[in-house]
Amino acid sequence: MNTTSTDNFTHLTITDFRPALQKNRLLGLWKMMDGYHLPYLLATLSLAVSAFARTGTFLLLRFFADRILDPSRTISLGWIALGFVGLAATDGGFAFLSGRLAAYTAEGITRRLRDFLFDHIQRLSVAYHAHTPTGDLIERVTSDVDALRRFFSEQAIGIGRILLLFLINFMAILRLNAKLGWCSIVVIPVVLAVSLWFFKKVTQAYEAYQAQEAILSTTLQENLSGVRVVKAFGRQAYEIAKFEKDNWNKFLKGKNLLFMHSLFWPLSDIVLGFQMLFGFVLAANMVIQGEISVGSYLAYTGLIVWLIWPIRNLGRIIVQTSTGMVSYGRLMEIVKQEREDLYSGSVQPQGDLRGDLVFEGVCFMYEDSDQETLKHISFRVRAGQAVALLGSTGCGKTTLVNLLPRFYDYTSGHIYLDGKELKEYPRAYLRQQIGIVEQEPFLFSRSIRDNITYGVGRQISQEEVEQAAKAAALHDVILSFPDGYNTLVGEKGVTLSGGQKQRLAIARALLKNPRLLILDDSTSAVDVETEAEIRQALGQLMHGRTTFIIAHRIQSVMMADLILVLDKGEIIQMGTHEELLQQPEGMYRRIYDLQTRLDKELELELVTVR
Amino acid sequence: MTAEMIELEEEEYTSQLTLPIIKRIAGLLKPHWLWVLGFFVTIALTSWLDAYFTYINKQFVDQGITLKDPARLMELATLYGGLILIQAGFVFAFIYLAGVLGERIQYDLRKLLFNHLQKLSLSFYSQNAVGRLMARVTSDTGRVSDLVTWGIVDVTWAIMNIATSAVFMAIINWKLALIVLAAIPIMVVMAVEFRKRILTEFRRSRRANSKITGAFNENIQGVRVVKALRREDQNTREFQRLTTEMYNASYRAAWLSALFLPSVQIIAAIVLGIIIGYSGVQIRSGLITLGGINAFVSYLTFMMWPIQDLARVYAEMQHSIASAERIFKLVDTQPEVRNRPDAVPAATLLGEIEFEHVDFYYDDRTPVLKDFSLKVQAGQTIALVGPTGGGKTTIVNLLCRFYEPTRGVIRINGRDYIEYTLESIHSKIGVVLQTPHLFSGTIKDNIRYGRLEATDEEVVEAAKLAGAHDFIVTLEKGYDQEVGEGGNLLSVGQKQLISLARAVLAKPELFIMDEATSSVDTLTEALIQKGMETLMSGRTSFIIAHRLSTVRRADRILFIEDGRIVEQGTHAELLRARGRYHRLYTQQFRREMELQAGFVEG
Repeated sequence: MNTTSTDNFTHLTITDFRPALQKNRLLGLWKMMDGYHLPYLLATLSLAVSAFARTGTFLLLRFFADRILDPSRTISLGWIALGFVGLAATDGGFAFLSGRLAAYTAEGITRRLRDFLFDHIQRLSVAYHAHTPTGDLIERVTSDVDALRRFFSEQAIGIGRILLLFLINFMAILRLNAKLGWCSIVVIPVVLAVSLWFFKKVTQAYEAYQAQEAILSTTLQENLSGVRVVKAFGRQAYEIAKFEKDNWNKFLKGKNLLFMHSLFWPLSDIVLGFQMLFGFVLAANMVIQGEISVGSYLAYTGLIVWLIWPIRNLGRIIVQTSTGMVSYGRLMEIVKQEREDLYSGSVQPQGDLRGDLVFEGVCFMYEDSDQETLKHISFRVRAGQAVALLGSTGCGKTTLVNLLPRFYDYTSGHIYLDGKELKEYPRAYLRQQIGIVEQEPFLFSRSIRDNITYGVGRQISQEEVEQAAKAAALHDVILSFPDGYNTLVGEKGVTLSGGQKQRLAIARALLKNPRLLILDDSTSAVDVETEAEIRQALGQLMHGRTTFIIAHRIQSVMMADLILVLDKGEIIQMGTHEELLQQPEGMYRRIYDLQTRLDKELELELVTVR
Repeated sequence: MTAEMIELEEEEYTSQLTLPIIKRIAGLLKPHWLWVLGFFVTIALTSWLDAYFTYINKQFVDQGITLKDPARLMELATLYGGLILIQAGFVFAFIYLAGVLGERIQYDLRKLLFNHLQKLSLSFYSQNAVGRLMARVTSDTGRVSDLVTWGIVDVTWAIMNIATSAVFMAIINWKLALIVLAAIPIMVVMAVEFRKRILTEFRRSRRANSKITGAFNENIQGVRVVKALRREDQNTREFQRLTTEMYNASYRAAWLSALFLPSVQIIAAIVLGIIIGYSGVQIRSGLITLGGINAFVSYLTFMMWPIQDLARVYAEMQHSIASAERIFKLVDTQPEVRNRPDAVPAATLLGEIEFEHVDFYYDDRTPVLKDFSLKVQAGQTIALVGPTGGGKTTIVNLLCRFYEPTRGVIRINGRDYIEYTLESIHSKIGVVLQTPHLFSGTIKDNIRYGRLEATDEEVVEAAKLAGAHDFIVTLEKGYDQEVGEGGNLLSVGQKQLISLARAVLAKPELFIMDEATSSVDTLTEALIQKGMETLMSGRTSFIIAHRLSTVRRADRILFIEDGRIVEQGTHAELLRARGRYHRLYTQQFRREMELQAGFVEG
């Protein structure tokens, strides 16, 4: 089930977990173990060998006791001693082997699963990510994966261990004496049932306890991060009372949990203790009656311990197993999602795009919506031209540009890129040819240099990086950071302002050198000087590329070759700056007039205070 | 830094057990000494009984079976049965006592820490990240309470068990007992070494795990960038390095754990082999009984558990001690801003407020305010403008007495304000901050935070004044709507309105707004305008604001830069001066008007 996907550099080996999508969860879990079935079976087998060796120890003890009590026979103590050590070594050795193989299996599967999920998730559609909360995904890929790891490393093998111990020791006792054997397991069904019930209850109580802990830590966190508010209103006493309530509640929940534990363990001690005692007395009387030998008695007292005590924990393991099952289901919900197809398409262009675009009656509707976000959009851009999109929030500007790298596919109509249907291009090719500069792009917590070269896809020299940063008016800012280009971005390093982030994206786009550029032009958060610098950088970036500008201000629109004014998903006006100014009733003209009126108002205000 | 990373980092610290630390830890247990005594005694008796059961088993063989004496057998069985019941009682007691005490100690420590944290000054908070303080209260308290309860339980049980087993073994045959005792140190040392290595690997794997979570988080949040730049393959390749790191550490931890018990077991088996080889002949000569040998087998088999426990406690202990030290250090921190011994309550803050040659340093080197002087009359509205980092927020922090001046004096009504009690100052100040902080709970709860005894009507009234009422009533549950953790179910603008309403409700004498309505849309801003005017009349107000409408109306505008007042005067005066304020104003004016035109996406 190994599949490889290739790219320009090297092979990527990811195990495909989609075959593990099964109606039957046990079958699904079994499929997840693909490639590890043999080690896992060997782990179980080793467990059996180890259990046999342990049982053998008690049988050897029996042999030793019976021989030594019979003065008529000679006994080779050295061999017996060696036998004990040998059996212990076998027991221990195979127990270790089993543990190691189980760990090998569980850790191996987990690693493959993590790799797969990581790779899989980033290949799911933008639409999927748009409606899936990050926290939920994170929860699944961390705790659910960990629950599965525990399932493979502890629970599956743990159940096997307890059952094997039980079977082997039970058979050994049956061979000593059948009646004794059956009398030794009378209470086991009861203990098993009770322990199942108990661990179910305890799991619930524990969850309540954990939930209270979460509440407490929220209260704490809000108090600490809101310390200025608390102090400003002098609410210390109120906060103390609030925390006290949550804290005391948690204490009570903990107490409840402990009460359950403190009842279960001694009560099960009593039941199992009396079962053992019953067996001892029975066996001792059998020895006195001459039904079994003294050696058998000794072996029995050793064996019974391994027969009945582990049963107490079986309930816990079974209850935990159900968590593993639930986690399997939650992970499969991610696994079953369709991936974006990056590589296929009937158009397989060689070389770069020219950048000629024709929109013909393009409509788009989001899957979870019943209204079209884009309605019959038609226009044409020639290679190297700039198109500006203008309109208020929710008018469809962002949706329109999202169609170009095929983040979403249009529902009807046509987009022709260099004369060929856009949907027929492989996504990988389009994204390689398109550069995006967002208003406040997401940065990764790595160095500034790595962020600039992120995804450029070739080796880049330091000179090149600096050149790009200079062109983006970012070089000086970077040099002012403690480690220059190696300064980390984010929690452990510097926090960049919105304008700086945008300029970083510009530098990246310059290095990537795409044929088609999407620009979210907002420079609201910077001072006048920087704004001029950014404008210059943008001008340089746009030169010779087909550019889509999501515009917020008239200034950035005026230079465009084509201006589209959008409203509720429709183009309401289209043309150049001059053309649009000619339409006195148009929205564009109104906005433009407002702009000029502002300057007058300002002038007026300055005059009146004089 | 995430809480998890901080925790991981701090777990690296270890500390040795010293007398002062032992004393302080013991101090924690002192109020509960009866409980401690209770679990101490019951766990000791439990472990003694554990060893005694094996001894009774020996007597079963030697006195009951070998001598073929059913009566003696029944006697022993009765004793055994009785002891099972008594033992169960002990087990119940020690689990309950130690467990509940553990919860109680954790409760005590958390309470102690939380209450102390409420007293500490803002300077403390600016030096200690919230995540770190969280780790103190959540995980450090857990480790310490585990140490003083289950740690003690495990050690007591282990030592008692080994000791009583040794005694019983000596009673059976002291020569053989010596052989076993010789093996114990070897087993303990081995166990400790194992534990330490396992712990190291375990921590390594947790660190790798936290990196993995980080990588997932980042890749999901930045998925559009990843796709746009076709970084998928490279990202997966980098991620595989992390999972390999994780694999190596956790695989090693797992197989070390798997190796641990068998190794100790084999040593026990060798000892057993020696005992059998050595004593076998003695049975026939009657020097040792078969039951005795059997008892030795049992004692040896079960010797592993106490040794394992000892090793675990030992390996964890140094980290727990480090936790305790961190807790004690926090508790010993004195608040920088606190009431002077002879402080008196301030009758009113409505009066002249004066900054007299105030210097202020956050750290020792760079002054944030330098020789800052300002005089404000009661009821005036002062607007502070100027570049970020110029010292505006510091002025406000000093005014609220979140900090006190490094040099110079701040006078209220002619008296140095450090002569007043903190409570009397804070109860008369209303503060609205740029990053509004709400608490989990309903909207009503959050507004009422301003004045706890306010009626529902007063809450609504305050919300109306703050311009929050209109959006609140559109919510499904209105004033009873939950705001979520930190208020994150509301937008920033909505949170600002709620925090404004909260300050309004407090009916302060001194009103402070730090960019309080920066994320409120223009329409709402106009709505608030009137409310704000009502609010500020008859109060002294300090306002840090971006919005011109707010600034324009101030009685005095201060342009603050580099900790100094660069320009000051009324709006008209400053515009006429054509200086810094003029430039800021024109730039800002243009932007705001564009915003109003509904052109810019906020």
